[in-house]
Amino acid sequence: MNWRNVRLILAREIRDQLRDRRTLFMIVVLPLLLYPLLGMSLFQVTNFMREHAAKVLVIGGEQITTDPPLIVKGKINPKLFASPKAAKLIDMDSFSHLAPEAPAESPADRLQRQILGGQTELELGDYEVAVYFPSDFAEKLAAGEDPSPQVFHNTSQEKSQIASRRMMSVLIRWKQLLVEEKLRANKLPITTTRPFVIEQKDVASEEHRGSALWSKLLPFVLIIWALTGAFYPAVDLCAGEKERGTLETLLSSPAQRSEIVLGKLATIMLFSIATAALNLGSLAVTGTLIATNLPEAASQLNLGPPPLSAMAWMLLALLPLSAFFSALCLALAALARSTKEGQYYLMPLMFLAMPLAMLPMAPGVELSLGTSLIPVTGVMLVLRELLQGNYADALRYTAPTLLVTLTCMALAIRWAVAQFHSETVLFGEAERLDLMLRLKRMVTHRGLTPTVAAAFMCAILILIVRFFMVLMMPRPSNFGDFFLLQAITLIVFVAGPALLMTALLTRSARRTLLLRRPRWEAIPIAAVLAMALHPVATALLLVVKKIYPMPDGTVLSEELKTLFADAEMWQVVLLLAVLPAICEELAFRGFILSGLRHLGSKWGAIVISSIFFGITHLMLQQSVTAAILGMVIGYMAVQTGSLLPCMVYHVVHNALMFVMMQLADDGDLTWLLGEGKIEDLDYPLWFTAIGAVIAIAIMRWLHGLPVELSPEESRQAAIDKSAHAPLG
Amino acid sequence: MEISGSIGRRPVAIPPERPGTLSSSLNVRDCESWHPPLPSNVTDMIHVRQLTKSYPDLRLGEFVALDAVSFDAYSSEIYGLLGPNGAGKTTALRILSTILQPTSGSAEINGYDVATEPAQVRRQIGFVSCNTAIYDRMTAWEMVEYFGRLYGMESEPLRVRMEDLFGRLQMDEIRDLLGAKMSTGMKQKVSIARAIVHDPPVLIFDEATSGLDVMVARALLQSVAELRGHGKCVIFSTHIMREAERICDRVGVIHRGKLLAEGTLEELQDKYEEKDLEELFFRLILDYDSQLDDAKRDDAQHDSNQGLLESR
Repeated sequence: MNWRNVRLILAREIRDQLRDRRTLFMIVVLPLLLYPLLGMSLFQVTNFMREHAAKVLVIGGEQITTDPPLIVKGKINPKLFASPKAAKLIDMDSFSHLAPEAPAESPADRLQRQILGGQTELELGDYEVAVYFPSDFAEKLAAGEDPSPQVFHNTSQEKSQIASRRMMSVLIRWKQLLVEEKLRANKLPITTTRPFVIEQKDVASEEHRGSALWSKLLPFVLIIWALTGAFYPAVDLCAGEKERGTLETLLSSPAQRSEIVLGKLATIMLFSIATAALNLGSLAVTGTLIATNLPEAASQLNLGPPPLSAMAWMLLALLPLSAFFSALCLALAALARSTKEGQYYLMPLMFLAMPLAMLPMAPGVELSLGTSLIPVTGVMLVLRELLQGNYADALRYTAPTLLVTLTCMALAIRWAVAQFHSETVLFGEAERLDLMLRLKRMVTHRGLTPTVAAAFMCAILILIVRFFMVLMMPRPSNFGDFFLLQAITLIVFVAGPALLMTALLTRSARRTLLLRRPRWEAIPIAAVLAMALHPVATALLLVVKKIYPMPDGTVLSEELKTLFADAEMWQVVLLLAVLPAICEELAFRGFILSGLRHLGSKWGAIVISSIFFGITHLMLQQSVTAAILGMVIGYMAVQTGSLLPCMVYHVVHNALMFVMMQLADDGDLTWLLGEGKIEDLDYPLWFTAIGAVIAIAIMRWLHGLPVELSPEESRQAAIDKSAHAPLG
Repeated sequence: MEISGSIGRRPVAIPPERPGTLSSSLNVRDCESWHPPLPSNVTDMIHVRQLTKSYPDLRLGEFVALDAVSFDAYSSEIYGLLGPNGAGKTTALRILSTILQPTSGSAEINGYDVATEPAQVRRQIGFVSCNTAIYDRMTAWEMVEYFGRLYGMESEPLRVRMEDLFGRLQMDEIRDLLGAKMSTGMKQKVSIARAIVHDPPVLIFDEATSGLDVMVARALLQSVAELRGHGKCVIFSTHIMREAERICDRVGVIHRGKLLAEGTLEELQDKYEEKDLEELFFRLILDYDSQLDDAKRDDAQHDSNQGLLESR
C-alpha cells in the first residue's frame, strides 16, 4: 500500500468536489440556509398563532342569564379569561336561536339547522369554532340536569384546534364559576368540588429539560445528514467517473485498486462528516436563537439551548458512522454505470437507514444490551443518553455499540474494495433484464448443482411462503391438527421448494442434496456433537433471551402444553425433531448450501445459508441461536460431504431440547439444575464446559477431514495461494 | 502542428520466413515459434503468448473475447492492431494495461508480467484510449501533474518535464484551462501528455483517433510517429486502415478474438497479393468468416449424421 498515492487521490478528489457547485450547495449552502429559514418560518407561524384572534360563533349564548353570565354586552364575560391579553384572542359573533319556521339566512342559521338536523359534517364557514347552547339550556341548568352544550371544531385544521382550546378554557372557567356560585348559594364551601389539588413537580433539572428534545433530534439529524452527505459524492466518484470515462484513466495509473478505494473512501467520509457537522452546527445555532427569542414556544416544547458537549459527542460518533455509510455508498455506487443509475442503487440504503434512525424516537425504546447491538440505532441511543447527561448508562453500552459499528464499517470497506476488483462491476455492460431468459437458462443449462442465484431464490421463496403460512394458518385445537399443520409446513413449504428446484435446476440430486454415504464414524460423532453442544446451545439461548427478552409467552406456552398433553413421546419427537431435521437439512444444507458454494468461499456459503436458516425461525431469540448452530451443521455438511450426519445432529439437538425440558419439569434433573420451578434449562458451568471441550475436539476432527471443493473454491484457493506466495 | 507529407516508417530488418503453422481448420497464424532477429538498438518490449479472455454470457454461455492471441512488439516500432469493432482489440490492450485480467495465457511488458506484477507494468506504460477521458474540473497542468505524481515523479523533475512537454506539444495556452472548456484536440493533447509524462518505454493507443476530426486525428498520428523516433514501443489499435498504413511498422489483424495475420505491410501485401491494406483486411476478415461458417455447417452436418446413425 502506497499511502502517498492514497493522499494524492484524496487531494485530487477533494479539489474536484469543491469545484462542483452542486456539492458546495449541498454541503455548505443548504445547511446554512435551511435551519435559519425553518427557524424563521417557525417564528412567523408561532407569532401568527399567538396574535391571531380566533373567530368563534356562539348560538344561544345571550339568552343564558346565569351568574356570572357567559356574554356581557355582546362580548364574552372578561372575568372568564385568565388575562386581558387572552380576551383579545377571541373574536366572537353571537346569534340567537332561529325560530323553527324562519328561513336560514345567515351562516349561523344554516349551521343551527344542520345541528338540529343531526348532521355530523358541518360547515363552519369563516368561523374556526362554534358553540351551541340548546334553547332549554338555562332551564336544565337550573333544574340540575345536564344541558349539554356543544362545541364544534375541525381537528384537521390547526387554527380550529387552537380556537377550540381557547374557547374550552373559557367555558371550563365559566362552569367552575357557576359551580362556585351554586355552592355559595347553598352555603357550602367552595372546596366541596375540589377537595384537594394535585401538585405536579418535575424532578428533571433545567438542563435536562432543555436537552430532552435535542437528545432525540440531534442524533437523528446526524444520521440522516451523514448518510446524505456520503450519498452524492459516492455517486459522483464512482458512477460519475465511469460515465465521464475517467475511471479507466485512473485504473491504468500505478495506483492500486485498494489505494484508489481508500482515497475515494476518505473523500466521501470527509464530505459526509462536513455535511453532518455543518447541519448540526446550523441547527444548534438556530435552536439557541429560537430558545432565546421564543421562550413561550420553547418552554412548551421543553426546548432549551442545545448543550455544547452535545456537539463534541456528535463529532466523535460521526467518525465511525461516516466511515460505515461512506463505504456502503461507495460499494453500491460502484455497481452503477451512470449517475442516474447510482441514485437508484442508493435509494434503498436510505429506506433501510430511516427505520433504524427512527426506531430510537419511538416511545419505550431504551438503551439496553439488545438495542445497542442494532447498527445505527445503538449509536443513536448512546448519543441520546450522553446528551441527557446519563454518562454511566452511555458508557456501559459504548463498547458493544462501537464493536457493532466498527464491524459493519470493516465489512462495508471490504465489500467496497471487492467491488473495485471486480471486472463485472467496473466494466460490465448494461444488460436488459430478461427474467424469462435467465429462468430458461437455469433449466436448459443446468449444472450438477444449483447456481448461486437458484440458491438465493430457494431461500427467499421458503422465507416468504413460511411467513405467509404462519399468518394464514388456523390455530390448531388438538395435537392431531397441530401435527398435520406442522408436517405440511415442513414437507410442502420447506423441503418441497428445495426438492422441486433440485429436479428442475440441477442434473445431480445426489450431489446437490449431499445424498452420499459418509464415513461410518461421522454418524455417531454427529450425535455426540449434538449432545456435547446441547448445554452450550441452551446457554446461548439464555444469553440471547437476556439481551432480547421474550414477550410474555405464558399464554402461548400454556396452549402448547395443552396441545402436547395427549401426545405420545415418539409423536412429539417425530414432529419436533425428525421432520424438521429432514426437511430443513434438505433445504438449507442441501440445495441452498450447494448453490452458495459457487460463490468461491466455503465459509461464505456456510454463513449465508445459516443466516437464512435462522431467519426462517421467525422469532428473534430462536433465529440468533439457530443461525449460530446452523454454521456448525453447515461446517459438518461441507467437511463430511454428506447430509446424513447433519440430519442426525439436528434430530438429536431438537429431541434433547424437548426431552431434557420434560425431564426437568418432572423433577428428574434436580441433581443438575437444582430445586425449584424450571423456566429454562440453565445448566451449571462445569457441565457446559465439558460439553464445549468435547465439541471442540469433534470440530478439530472434522477440520482434518479431506474436503471436496467446488470449482470456484478451488480457483479462489489457487489465487489466494499465488497472492501470498513469496516473490521470486 | 506541422504536418509532414510522409509520416513514414522506420525500416525494419525483414524477419526470416515464418514457419507459422496453421491451426486445425481455420488457417490462423501461430506466432509462438517466430523469433525475429533484432537490430542492436531494438529491444523486445512486449511478449503476448496465447492470451485468452472469456466472459460469462447469458445467451452464449461463454463469450470468448480473445482467443489464444500471441504477438511481440519492439522498441522503436509502431505495432498496429487492426480489426473491426468487437474484434478484441480493446480487450487485448486493456489486459496489457492491467485493467483486465486474462483468463489464460500470459503477457509481459518490459519483463514484467501483467497478471502477477501489474503495478510494475503500469509504470512501464502510457495508455491512451477513446475511453480514457480527462477530468472536467481539472486544468491541463493539474491533470498532467496529478498523473506524474502517481507515477512517482518528484516535484522538480516533474515540473521540468511538464514544462518541456507543454512546450513540445504546444499546450502552453491551455495550461490553466479546465477540461470542460477544452476542445477535442486540446483534450487529446492533454491525454497524450498525461500518458507520456513519466517517459514510459511502452505506449498503448486504443482507437485514440475515434471521434476526432481529420485535422486533430492527423496531428495525433504525427505525435505517435514521433514517439517511435524516441525509441518507444507503441501499440496502436485502429479500425481505420489508412492510419495503419501511415504510421505502423508491423500490423496484426484481429477478428473475433483471433489474430488472423501479422507482419510488415510489405510482407502481408506479398503474401496475400493485395496492395491495398483495406482490401487485404476485408479479404482476411471475409475469408475467416467464411471458414467459420463452413466449420459450423460441417459440425451441424456431423451432429445430424451422428443422430441418424444412433437412431438406426
